[in-house]
Amino acid sequence: MNKIMYLEFERCIGCRACQAACRECGDHDAKERNYVEYVDFTESRQTFPMLCMQCKDPACARVCPANAIQITEEGVVLSAMEEKCIGCRNCTFGCPFGIPKFDFEKNKMYKCDMCYDRTREGISPMCASVCPSDAIRFIDFDEMQELRRRRTQMNLIEGKKPQEGNKWDYVPEFFGVYTDSNQ
Amino acid sequence: MSQFLVKEGVKNQIRKGEKLVATHCCYCGMQCGMHIRVNEKTNKVVGVEPRYDWVLTKGKMCPKGVTAYQTIDHPDRIKRPLIKKNGQFVESSWEEALDLIERKYKEIQGEYGRDAIGVYGGVSMTNEKCYLVGKYARVALGTRYIDYNGRYCMSSAAGGFNKTLGMDRGSTLPWTELEHSDCFFMAGSNTAECHPTSIQWFWKAKDKGAKIIVADPRETPTARVADVHLDLLPGTDSALANGIMHLLIKHDYVDTEYVNERCNNFEELKEMTARFTPEYTAKLTGIAVEKIVKAAHIFGKSPRSVVMFARGAEQQTKGVDNVSLYTSMALLRGQIGKFASGVATLTGQGNGQGGREHGQKADALPGYRKITNPKDREYIAGVWGIEPEEMPQEGVSAYEMFNLMEAKTIRGLHVICSNPVVSSPNINYVQKALEGLDFLVVNDFFLSETAELADVVLPTATWAEDEGTTTNTEGRVIRIRKVVDPIGESKPDWEIMQLIAERMGKGKFFPYKEPREIFDELRIASKGGKADYYGVTYEKIDAQDGVFWPAPAEDHMGTPSVFKDKFATEDGKANLAVCDWREPGEIPNTGYPLWLTTGRVVFHYLTGNQTRRVGFLMDQCPEPFVEIHPELASQYQIQNGERVKISTPRGEMTAPARITKAIRKDTLFVPYHWGKEQSINQLTSPALDPFSRMPEFKVCAVKLEKLTK
Ligand code: SF4
Ligand code: SF4
Ligand code: SF4
Repeated sequence: MNKIMYLEFERCIGCRACQAACRECGDHDAKERNYVEYVDFTESRQTFPMLCMQCKDPACARVCPANAIQITEEGVVLSAMEEKCIGCRNCTFGCPFGIPKFDFEKNKMYKCDMCYDRTREGISPMCASVCPSDAIRFIDFDEMQELRRRRTQMNLIEGKKPQEGNKWDYVPEFFGVYTDSNQ
Repeated sequence: MSQFLVKEGVKNQIRKGEKLVATHCCYCGMQCGMHIRVNEKTNKVVGVEPRYDWVLTKGKMCPKGVTAYQTIDHPDRIKRPLIKKNGQFVESSWEEALDLIERKYKEIQGEYGRDAIGVYGGVSMTNEKCYLVGKYARVALGTRYIDYNGRYCMSSAAGGFNKTLGMDRGSTLPWTELEHSDCFFMAGSNTAECHPTSIQWFWKAKDKGAKIIVADPRETPTARVADVHLDLLPGTDSALANGIMHLLIKHDYVDTEYVNERCNNFEELKEMTARFTPEYTAKLTGIAVEKIVKAAHIFGKSPRSVVMFARGAEQQTKGVDNVSLYTSMALLRGQIGKFASGVATLTGQGNGQGGREHGQKADALPGYRKITNPKDREYIAGVWGIEPEEMPQEGVSAYEMFNLMEAKTIRGLHVICSNPVVSSPNINYVQKALEGLDFLVVNDFFLSETAELADVVLPTATWAEDEGTTTNTEGRVIRIRKVVDPIGESKPDWEIMQLIAERMGKGKFFPYKEPREIFDELRIASKGGKADYYGVTYEKIDAQDGVFWPAPAEDHMGTPSVFKDKFATEDGKANLAVCDWREPGEIPNTGYPLWLTTGRVVFHYLTGNQTRRVGFLMDQCPEPFVEIHPELASQYQIQNGERVKISTPRGEMTAPARITKAIRKDTLFVPYHWGKEQSINQLTSPALDPFSRMPEFKVCAVKLEKLTK
């Protein structure tokens, strides 16, 4: 399988269905692992979703003194293993995106695992499944590349040119490459 | 119990020891497809799984849909009938509750006549139930006073569509066509928050270059991405539509051939709109002239456009005018009845479409028949097995029923699937009217604010505990499946109506063993009417992913697009709307200098009786708030998060301020999902549209005050 998580931040309508759905995934223990934030509510209603980047060389795993954070063969960075996690919270500080969350009751870290239960079987993660606005999608690598080119093309049609202040509008960002077979 | 599982060839996660039942969400008119996860051993609902194969929503859901299953096995569920004794609810047996209801109904009707008992229905339930509410009122109770919460929801859309197109089907096209449209003109609809899963279709179209025009006093998430945001003053839609049509005519965007062939009144419309120059329109609506002109050109140039609107335009004293005028915009462009173009209202309640078609309304009988029409009375009387003379006369609209309660004309009321002390305008008055009743029965599965006032509360089944059909916002009839048995002693509403009918000596008119039998009767009752369900069967719904009405014959596939060749008016032509400007029922004045408008947030549904009990949704939005523009807040020295007081002559409340530039500087917005002292409907205006009797929830004058420490 060669699928990626594809986010288009400006599509986010702030409904937080992704978070409600994250709680519903297999062993997620009714806790969401993703984030939705307002950019600046005083200025506009724009919100954006945030989930784990599934980094190639994840800071969370690197700073874990107990080696509790496993990376699957597909490159998914899992939640800390219960039996190994010592609850030091290094990972929550180490991650530059602030993704890992900490369960103080169970004294262990938990984070987005791209719904490993589902994606392992080729089924879309919960957040990408439900996101009503297609802000989060789980799509083929090739489709993603096509979408990026399409975006540039639309901008050409509309005669827009990216500038320093708005270049984010022009390059949809993607992350969480599910496999690296295409690299 | 339904055994319908996942469709073949569709990959879903099915966990060990669980099964998935395919159904739809219980909340809004999108009726998103979903699977409910059931533990096979315990037969309990354990969660939700997307339904990727559902044509309209493709597995997508908003947070209400994702968490909907949590209301089924909820600790707050009412499991046995409740009878109020000395001001306290006491659990009772069905026997005792029914005895009391029978005695009271007979007493009241014996003394004051049959019409002294009213029925107040709702449309967040299946077609089978909605249909039966009408029959229950007229046959079991023999009362003329029946109306329903759709009066506050879809009545203006219905009025406007009937006037212009001759028939009220919420959407003239199937929404799967939306991705091929070139332009959406959306008025008074916070689409992203109220019908979230529709957004995927707008994005698909936008990816191909479609334009979006949004008319709303607030910069909603949809307005934020729109090509033009027409930030109009609340209550000025009719001026805007007239202004746009003025420009369509002036710049030759009118499809003359279509208009000549298929529409009446063009000359009159031309004359009326002549005065709505961009300058005059701008003055009335508060929108900048350039924006109006830009919107008109975009709309005028688009080969395929869809005009859409929702409660923002409809919940006004001009609701019917607004709907008729917006519909006329689509007509001028020759759009209705063609591919990927047309006109649509966004249905608020799950079955807001189906529930308004089959006789829950004061003046309606099944299949959009009229209770004032002798032929219609005769036909339905025949289906029901009563004499036409026994059929009660027309009643009054929802809000007017409270007037009659105050006047003691209505002395007993049965509320089924609604929470009018939160959803009505001016609820302080409504509450008094309900408190003054001799006898109030409420069917609900949670103790709503209205149920709290009741003498008897009858526990009903949730949507997942009964079979049936609903009709989604497109006009597509779909199936709701029974997932588990009703909890405790709760019963589906149709069974409850049946039991009361028996007590009233009318049992033989209600001989149903299952919802399918009610549906089969509905099919016959609607046969030959405008909303003709005769050709809709449960099997056909499964086989072809829903059936669009009208489906007038057994072998009819249904009608995804309506008005292809002619309209449903008497002469087959659409009536263009000729409506002059009228002021809203109330406008800002020295005592109440600002505008107030209300609406929804994405996390709650209607009066919140269900969603306020779901942890995730309450975490996101626990209480109402007042949206205020920073410039206005600064004048009142109000900080973000500070509690402020707002008031109208009808009531007052306090709520925290949420300061944002995404609203007009002269308008306040408060969501309406809370009851009692948290309810904005203490303040809203009960001014009614003269035609649809829709209250003006969306516009009134308000005073804002900083609370002193
Ligand atoms: S579900 Fe999609 S639109 Fe809703 S908050 Fe999450 S990312 Fe945004
Ligand atoms: S991929 Fe799964 S675990 Fe990650 S945020 Fe989405 S739903 Fe949660
Ligand atoms: S509330 Fe409406 S949009 Fe949300 S899941 Fe239910 S039907 Fe879909």
